[in-house]
Amino acid sequence: MTGAQAAGLPTREADSAAASAVKALQAEGRHAEARERYAELVARHQRRAARIAFHYLRDSAESDEAVQDALVKAYTHLQSFREELPFEVWFTRILINGCLDRIKARTRRERWLVPMPESPHGQRDFTDRVAGNGQSPEEQLLGRERRQKLAAALARLPERQRSVFMLSHYEGCTSREVSALTGLNESTVRVHLFRAIRRLRTLLADDAASIGVGGEKRRVTS
Amino acid sequence: MSLLSPNRNRAQRHLTDDAFADLWSAAAASGEPVADPHLAACAQCRTRYSAFTGWLDRIHDDAVGEADEAFPAERLAAQQAQVMRRLEALERPARVIAFPRFARPVTSTQGHAQRWVAAAAAAGLIIGLAAGQLVDVRRMFTPARIVATQQNARLTTTQPVGAPSVVPASLSSVSDETLFFGGDPARTTDRLPMLQAMDDITPRARDLEQPR
Repeated sequence: MTGAQAAGLPTREADSAAASAVKALQAEGRHAEARERYAELVARHQRRAARIAFHYLRDSAESDEAVQDALVKAYTHLQSFREELPFEVWFTRILINGCLDRIKARTRRERWLVPMPESPHGQRDFTDRVAGNGQSPEEQLLGRERRQKLAAALARLPERQRSVFMLSHYEGCTSREVSALTGLNESTVRVHLFRAIRRLRTLLADDAASIGVGGEKRRVTS
Repeated sequence: MSLLSPNRNRAQRHLTDDAFADLWSAAAASGEPVADPHLAACAQCRTRYSAFTGWLDRIHDDAVGEADEAFPAERLAAQQAQVMRRLEALERPARVIAFPRFARPVTSTQGHAQRWVAAAAAAGLIIGLAAGQLVDVRRMFTPARIVATQQNARLTTTQPVGAPSVVPASLSSVSDETLFFGGDPARTTDRLPMLQAMDDITPRARDLEQPR
């Protein structure tokens, strides 16, 4: 079982069967049925896609749009999908490319515009103000601070390291899957993953020290 | 395969954080559990390694929890519905809303005739305006004698009805030639006969003299 499947992802066979069925229905002009069948694929990949987009964009509204755009684009370009490639890999590539385009556009925009000030709690829109999951206010505050630190540290990683780390660690993809998603070869994926962890250890040194992990690059002799 | 130096002796020394990162990334990349002889033998390193993986697990839980909080089930349902609406809209042909004026079909012959009449009228207007600017039509059709009479009459009417009460003393004594040409004899003597008619109708300075 691959890491992706361990993370609760659907089987590739089911995806491929659904994608092939949608393609055939589209070709026959039975669009309503094609849409119905495609809804299955949407339901399977939606949550994972939302997570990936959120990790990239760090903004729920923009992530929502990115996921919608990727799903619509995948449907309209389904004729170019090759069955030998897993649907999740093909779709995730579309999604990641869309997210990277949005990041570039945002960077260009922010060169000219002053960003909106955040609220005292660091919330940018109403979706950030979701009901708590039973944590105390102190726990919530600490958790929020930790997440902000993590997001800031991730933002400081080079783009490839960040992508590899997020796909490997957050989405549970193997190096082969990450390789297919990013276009890097497997050994490069491993190197990027190693470097990403090492850099994160440096950037989040306080957090790491608080949970009792050894110091940075310290060699302990017996 | 390790990314770190192969010369190190893991059996002799405790593992560093880099070694933990190496082991962990190798295991994550392959999907296999961690296998290291020192880690299997050394309890202290195992404890530190579990703290290391705990730190990474915490990062994972934070990141995934944050993303899942931003996308609750209701939001995902709304997103799916929106995607389906967009897909449906893609397959529908684009609606063109007719402008109200052209909503009623017009017959082709009537339309053509009206268009020609309008174009001819516009062209006539433009040509007329242009010709009016270039040619003085009234003068073309009026005989020269009548023009001269009219000019004469205009000149007489332009004379002041009530003459000025104070006239400069010099006006009565100065001739027209002196007044206009400054007494230059070369200019005053060289008058052309063809200008005589113009000269006749030109008012003189003496005409403006007020009778005392």
